[in-house]
Amino acid sequence: MRRWPLLLSMLAASPAAAQPAVTSLAPEKVSVSVFRDPGRDEGGEISPNWLEGFALISESRTIDLPAGEATVRFEGVAEGMIAVSAIVTGLPGGVVQKNRDAALLSPASLLDGSLGNRVHIRRTDGATGKVTEEEAVIRSGPAGAVVLQTSAGYEALRCTGIPESILYDGVPAGLTAKPTLSVTTRSPAAQRATVTLTYLSTGFDWASNYVARVREDGKTLDLFAWLTVANSNGESFADAGLAAIAGTLNKVSDFEELADRPRTPPLYLRCFPTGSGRYGAPPPPPPPAPPPPAAMEDSMDSIVVTGSRLQRSALLSPVAVVASQEDLGDLKLYRVPIPVTVAANGQKQVALLVKDDVPFRTIYRLRVYPGDEGKAMEPEILLRMQNKEAEGLGVPLPSGQAAVFEPVGGHEMLVGEGRMRDHAVGEKVDLVIGESSQVRIDVENYVPPKNRQHDYRITVTNANPHPADVELGFEVDDNDGLDSRIRKLPRRDGLLTWVVRVPANGSKTFHYRVKAED
Amino acid sequence: MRALAMLCVPFVLTALPVVAQDPTRGNAQGDLAITIYNGGQSLVQDIRQIAFPAGRTRQEFPDVSAQIRPQTVSFAAANTAIVEQNFDYDLLSPNALMQKAVGETVTLLRTNPATGAETRERAKVLAVNGGVVLQIGSRIEILRDDGMPVRVIFDKIPPNLRAKPTLSITVDSDRAGTRPATLSYLTNGLGWAADYVSLYDEKAGTIDVQGWVTLSNNTGTTFDNAKTLLVAGTPSTRGAVSPAYRPRPQPPGNLRRAGTETAPREQLGDYYLYPLVERTTIANAQTKQVSFLDVSGVPAQKIYEFTVGGFETMTEPASAASVIKFNTSAKGGGLGDALPAGTVRFYQRDMRGDPQFIGENNIGHTPMGSELGLATGQAFDVKVQATVVKRERISDHRWRTQMSYLLTNARANPVTLDLVQRGLDWYWDETRILDESRKSERLDSDGTRWRIELPANGEATITATFETRN
Repeated sequence: MRRWPLLLSMLAASPAAAQPAVTSLAPEKVSVSVFRDPGRDEGGEISPNWLEGFALISESRTIDLPAGEATVRFEGVAEGMIAVSAIVTGLPGGVVQKNRDAALLSPASLLDGSLGNRVHIRRTDGATGKVTEEEAVIRSGPAGAVVLQTSAGYEALRCTGIPESILYDGVPAGLTAKPTLSVTTRSPAAQRATVTLTYLSTGFDWASNYVARVREDGKTLDLFAWLTVANSNGESFADAGLAAIAGTLNKVSDFEELADRPRTPPLYLRCFPTGSGRYGAPPPPPPPAPPPPAAMEDSMDSIVVTGSRLQRSALLSPVAVVASQEDLGDLKLYRVPIPVTVAANGQKQVALLVKDDVPFRTIYRLRVYPGDEGKAMEPEILLRMQNKEAEGLGVPLPSGQAAVFEPVGGHEMLVGEGRMRDHAVGEKVDLVIGESSQVRIDVENYVPPKNRQHDYRITVTNANPHPADVELGFEVDDNDGLDSRIRKLPRRDGLLTWVVRVPANGSKTFHYRVKAED
Repeated sequence: MRALAMLCVPFVLTALPVVAQDPTRGNAQGDLAITIYNGGQSLVQDIRQIAFPAGRTRQEFPDVSAQIRPQTVSFAAANTAIVEQNFDYDLLSPNALMQKAVGETVTLLRTNPATGAETRERAKVLAVNGGVVLQIGSRIEILRDDGMPVRVIFDKIPPNLRAKPTLSITVDSDRAGTRPATLSYLTNGLGWAADYVSLYDEKAGTIDVQGWVTLSNNTGTTFDNAKTLLVAGTPSTRGAVSPAYRPRPQPPGNLRRAGTETAPREQLGDYYLYPLVERTTIANAQTKQVSFLDVSGVPAQKIYEFTVGGFETMTEPASAASVIKFNTSAKGGGLGDALPAGTVRFYQRDMRGDPQFIGENNIGHTPMGSELGLATGQAFDVKVQATVVKRERISDHRWRTQMSYLLTNARANPVTLDLVQRGLDWYWDETRILDESRKSERLDSDGTRWRIELPANGEATITATFETRN
């Protein structure tokens, strides 16, 4: 009985309904601005199951406030919410206090919060099936065991060998189903208010996905980009205003840690020894284990579809909706013009930009140090465009993956995939899409050296039935004794570069001499 | 615990009818065209007949590859414009169903274990955190706290939960009607490589080469009756192989000289295309082989090669490599095709006339007109032993090394042996050959080669003196 005063004080200390609580279940209007994962390589792929970007979510909610102090609870926010970033505006009395309540309603917290309270215990007779209920008072906490006081005396829960269950009369105050943001406000009068809740949330990412379709002329391409947005939160944002922000912004805090969901303490009940004592007490039945997620297996049934005409039309229908671009300080903001749904555990794509008839050149590129050697090396294949309006582009190009298609016999087929970094207007775009096995490069130190002079020969061979534009850049770190044949070369991307057009089914050579190092 | 397993069943059963798929409809794939690249990347084009209503609709596409890369999807259909594309993978599971039921009301069906009597009641799900907290009337209880059988019956499946990851495209259609729609996407899990069966005739000095395409499908999806095209190339960057500073002396590679001829095949950029003549079904987990090359009587030369890496004494003789050399030129005396990357397996007939396996090697994508030298193994009967006879210092930086090479042939026929001394410009520098018992051919700054005809069951000795600087 010595415990009673303690228990009473605990009950009084619990955040019981000291002030009226107003719960806002869902927003009426929401907008989501997605930021890219700052740790992802430029042009890297987003992995839907591991999204490391974030979003700024702005929700508009209507609430009915009583006069005086009240607690407003916001439900239905993203589970990745970073509570410290939350801003609530529109409350007539302002915000007195802002709390993130993480005391979750669970079997353990329910038991813990009901300590000393009257509950009911339900028992089912295994033989007759008779269900009996009786009153009980919980006398010990959930840390390992539960002792109940019943009309018969004191008993331990789950030590009876009879299926038994506690029935509670209510939920202790302050326990919530999910982590919840609540604010305390002091309203001058009872009124209806429209408040805006703005917060950062983890579990988002976006990237652009470029699709370049080379035209029949082989000299121009149609560039198209998807804005790909992914959300790994359990919440969907229906009819949201969606924006994506490109650029690099500084971020010093660990959002994942700030948004970390509190863990639910498990409930383990231990009994006094029963039976012979050899095996201890039977463990409590675990909650029903969820079966593994539905396997991604496809139906093996097959029907043969024949007779359908092969469509030779474009790869892509026209797009009805294209994101608009605006400058946001030093960042680029892409806005989806119509409300869209950002679904839970989903990835969505909306057109980001459409640029037709962009001239490009195909270049084969290899970089060597004078003094390097190699046989039948495969140079990179790259598509070169100029991000200028006069050259068919002239728009900011946010980083992303690019797939290049080329028509062959009426079909458009993938000819390469590459990564694109962020390109500002005016920059040169070199999109590396693969390596060539048809254009090969030998760099040979082909004769015995004399007087510390090494003779090198580069041979570029082209097995294609069309000429190949090759750029062989020399990474020179010592100009001392640099061969004048290299010295006279033009610069490309900062490197002295042998720029050569290798004829169809032909080859070209370049000779130079390198002084041996001491 | 058995009761638990059984209890999971109703969850699944109640979920099924709501899933949009009609099992009697079978596979929703349409007219398939698949382009398979080396390196496990493929382009799938799937033309489906879709009844578009006029206006804005959301079209779901079941039966796409289970390893689809959703961000690469393209869609084309006449008189439609794309609004957005979605790939939703919020999957239906008992846990997801219960999590999404927080705040909702469900039906509990309790079965008395002794009497079998069923009682039904409505319960509100309050929280799902390590256990399900329910409110039944004014009472709060934990679901199946006492282990007694309880069926939980949900009224509906939340609209976002799906049986499989689902691709959907929202389009504006300016008229109603059924018309073909082309869905293209890239998928992982489909790949191919070439396998060459090469029968070597030593007497005639020829090889017969058959090329087989080996296709493998690990996507988890079967592609029915697909028009299939193979592309010899990896259409993504693996990172170009950069030249290296003074590579360590090593034996020659397989591609001896890159060709400059164009093979009479269709090209896609720098890649050759290998269409399969007939439509084929590429079943999941299947390996399929299709022939693409059959050439006989290609001149081939067997040669023995041995590379000495530096000036060192070998205490034991070592076997030379057996190398089969041929070229892929179309200008007479060659195989006359470009060869996609793969494995070349050599066979030779034994005394009874049965083909036996004599070794294999890999080739990369090989342009037509190239020279290949493929080592099939180490020769049992052809050996080399190098000896440093004398090493002396001439001046501060100059050394003189006298080498002797003993070459032996235990075969009953004469053989050609290429002996290469490397390391002339690697550790040492500016190596000159002062004298040699037989004229060698300087390959490059680092190596020199003697080509020796060894008599049947005979041997030869070569001596040479090198002057080096260090």
